[in-house]
Amino acid sequence: MSTPLLELRDVGKYYGNIIALTGVTTNVAAGKVTCVLGDNGAGKSTLIKILAGVHQHDDGELLLEGEPVSFESPREALDKGIAAVYQDLAMVPLMSVWRNFFLGSEPTKNLGPLRWIDKPLAKRTAKDEMARMGIDIRDTEQPVGTLSGGERQSVAIARAVYFGAKVLILDEPTSALGVKQSGVVLRYIVEAAKRGLGVIFITHNPAHAYPVGDRFLILNRGRSMGNFAKDEISQTELTQLMAGGAELEELQHELEAAIASKND
Amino acid sequence: MTTIDGAVIADDAAANDDDERISYRGVFQRTLVRPEIGATIAAVSIWIFFWAVSTPFGKASGASSILDVASSPLGIMAVAVAMLMIGGEFDLSAGAATGALGIVVILLVRDVAGEVSGGSLSLWIALPVSLLVALFLGWFNATMVDKTSLPSFVVTLASFFILKGAKLGYAKLITGQIQVGKLDDLAIHAEQNDVSDKGYGFLAKVFSGEWIRNEHVWGSRDAVYLIGVMLGLSLVVLAVYEMQYTRREKPAPAGIGVLGAGIVVAIVGAAVLHRTDSVSGNVIGAVVIGVGMLIGLFGWSTWRYQTIDRTARLTMPASAIAPFGLGLVAVVLGALFALLLDPDNSDTIAVLYQVTEQGLRAILFISLAGAGAVLMLIAVSRARKESNTAGGLLLLMTSGVVAAVAFFIRSESGTHKFRTEALSAMLAIAMLMAIWALLSMRFESRSAIDRSADRLGKILLIGGAAGVVVGLGARLLYITPEELETATRTVFSVRILWFIAFTAVCTWVLGRTRFGSWTFAVGGNKQAARQVGVPASRTKMQLFMLVSFAAWLVGILLAFRLNTIQASTGDGEEFEYIIAAVVGGTALTGGYGSTLGAAIGAFIMAMAVQGIPSARWNSDWRFVFLGAILLLAVIANNFIKEKAEAAR
Repeated sequence: MSTPLLELRDVGKYYGNIIALTGVTTNVAAGKVTCVLGDNGAGKSTLIKILAGVHQHDDGELLLEGEPVSFESPREALDKGIAAVYQDLAMVPLMSVWRNFFLGSEPTKNLGPLRWIDKPLAKRTAKDEMARMGIDIRDTEQPVGTLSGGERQSVAIARAVYFGAKVLILDEPTSALGVKQSGVVLRYIVEAAKRGLGVIFITHNPAHAYPVGDRFLILNRGRSMGNFAKDEISQTELTQLMAGGAELEELQHELEAAIASKND
Repeated sequence: MTTIDGAVIADDAAANDDDERISYRGVFQRTLVRPEIGATIAAVSIWIFFWAVSTPFGKASGASSILDVASSPLGIMAVAVAMLMIGGEFDLSAGAATGALGIVVILLVRDVAGEVSGGSLSLWIALPVSLLVALFLGWFNATMVDKTSLPSFVVTLASFFILKGAKLGYAKLITGQIQVGKLDDLAIHAEQNDVSDKGYGFLAKVFSGEWIRNEHVWGSRDAVYLIGVMLGLSLVVLAVYEMQYTRREKPAPAGIGVLGAGIVVAIVGAAVLHRTDSVSGNVIGAVVIGVGMLIGLFGWSTWRYQTIDRTARLTMPASAIAPFGLGLVAVVLGALFALLLDPDNSDTIAVLYQVTEQGLRAILFISLAGAGAVLMLIAVSRARKESNTAGGLLLLMTSGVVAAVAFFIRSESGTHKFRTEALSAMLAIAMLMAIWALLSMRFESRSAIDRSADRLGKILLIGGAAGVVVGLGARLLYITPEELETATRTVFSVRILWFIAFTAVCTWVLGRTRFGSWTFAVGGNKQAARQVGVPASRTKMQLFMLVSFAAWLVGILLAFRLNTIQASTGDGEEFEYIIAAVVGGTALTGGYGSTLGAAIGAFIMAMAVQGIPSARWNSDWRFVFLGAILLLAVIANNFIKEKAEAAR
């Protein structure tokens, strides 16, 4: 197996005397999807922030294509090809799709000192890029605010892919979406992996993670509960591990007892 | 085609650009999405209103004074403030800054004793120095807002008071008065002592030059005016058609022959109009031109557009009948009031404060007829959704009503203005409506994107607008030899050009450059803009500096225009800039708006300022008017925005 794009070895992070994250080991290879699962407060956000350069890790090693790294800023992470798509998506709702797509990196033409946006190129590229992701945006002039949640997510993903991301970090992309929309977004995740990106998909929903993931990292209360390849674990096991195994079993017993007493 | 699964369908859609899932928006719907559309409609109605009730509107002298009020300080500042507001910030010190920078310019060219002498600074140095002062003001406001994270409302309110106090303090300190003057001492000093005027003469031409209309005689002005406006309007009509109807796959050349015949008939009509002077001759000429236009447009459409092949059954939807009937009743009611009330009675009516019977008659007639017309048009648009024939039929009837009202006004009105100008304008509108109605019953409306047709439409539209501008410009800027004795003295200031240039540059910057895109972004969602690498703080700083640059420009224009600037000049005007921007469709919450709209907003306010006294009302009512306009504009803009976004 070749060197993974991004590898974590026993990564840890402390906020003062609080252990936010400890002993996290996983990797993401090109064209593969690594899912990070965990309930609320499991340390998923801290992990993203380390990967995206918002925070730096205090323990262990972070390797980018085999080289140990520590990102000083989100900009540095972005320059090295690690793009994070956050839950709030970094979109301006009143602006058109193509303006949002290129926001901050608009293609320009110039005549002497005069520089202006190459609008036809920008519109065409935005549409084509999203079509390549399997996303059919109707009119690139329409404001992002009028798109559905899934479509918005797709614009953010396509934007990250277009601007040279090698590793794509998706923070709970399906959490605010309905069943059908979630399915659409999951397809984009597969699409992005097919195009050779390494995808880190953060979620608390094993049903979303299992079908698309190649590797699963389960976090609970800042600790790694395991790092499995797909053939090492089933969806049921995944669900159990994620909720802390024993706790879920206990809950199941309680529920069964409640149902039994109801049926009596 | 790529082979990625699931992307195949999307690829197809990308390849031919049309998408069956997008419901096509017609030319009118697309126009309604623009933020400045509400302001444009308001501007036209207010202009018509003041044209009806006062004398100077519709004359070159009226146009010059409205444009002058609209351009500087109001228009230039409104455009800059609109950009800042789109970027999500306010600048309450903008008004005070205009006066302050004018004072700075004047103080700079006077020496320490407040005198103009051989040693005082040249204007060529004073202007750049004052620009630095201006940019410092913008930088200061932006930095305070950025570093303290306080609302710009509060920060710039503070800088407003600082500026207001500093203006007064320095003026008293240096000149001992609450005013600073005079700039043209430079010229006087230069003449008396035979020295250089330090750039005054040249710069005065640049900043306060004038075009005196009465000194420019042009024999063929009326011909240029008529040809420009007529040709321009015809091109606009063709542009709208091009964007409205479906193109034929193969053009039908027979239509070209009909088009030619129509043009010949129209020319014959024009010749008749030109040759005869009698009333009946004029009417015949006008009718012949109208028929020629109808034939010509019919030929053009046959040549280019798809005809409706199915014979549509006539179904008149019930939802259209009610508003149409109501509209008819309103018009008839208006006409009844006009007949019943005495047009010559200018006594005030006791119960209605200050309103004369004459005035009441006009108000009732105009509002009822206007409301009637709007109701009928609503009926037309509802009927069109059901069937083209039904819509066309109603539109045809509406055009008949408009024509009837035109003749009614002619027979009932005492003033020349209504008897001639209103009649011809309304007849022209009725004719266009009738032609539109007839064509829309015969030709297929477009229901898909057609980029080449839209491009041609755009070119026609620009050509048409250019024609109208050239025609109107000729009419405004020149007099004919016959008018030499009678024309009132009318002067156009170079400030209007500064206003137009500033608006054009800002519009281009906002719509076409990265800075413009970033302006929308920082106003719409600053956090998001920052995340994708937009330099949010720098963009906001540049916006504040743009406003202070505009204040510098206005300050110079004020200094050259007034020579002496009061310490209070500009104080309190900042709200007028904000009103103009909001009336022009700029959102108070940021992230949405237009500079063109702000310019139109300034124009609306100038019409109120000029129109209220010229209608012989007390100008104290100006603010009532402004307040009402502001409220209406915000409501209308909100409504249009919602409609537009729902339509997508």
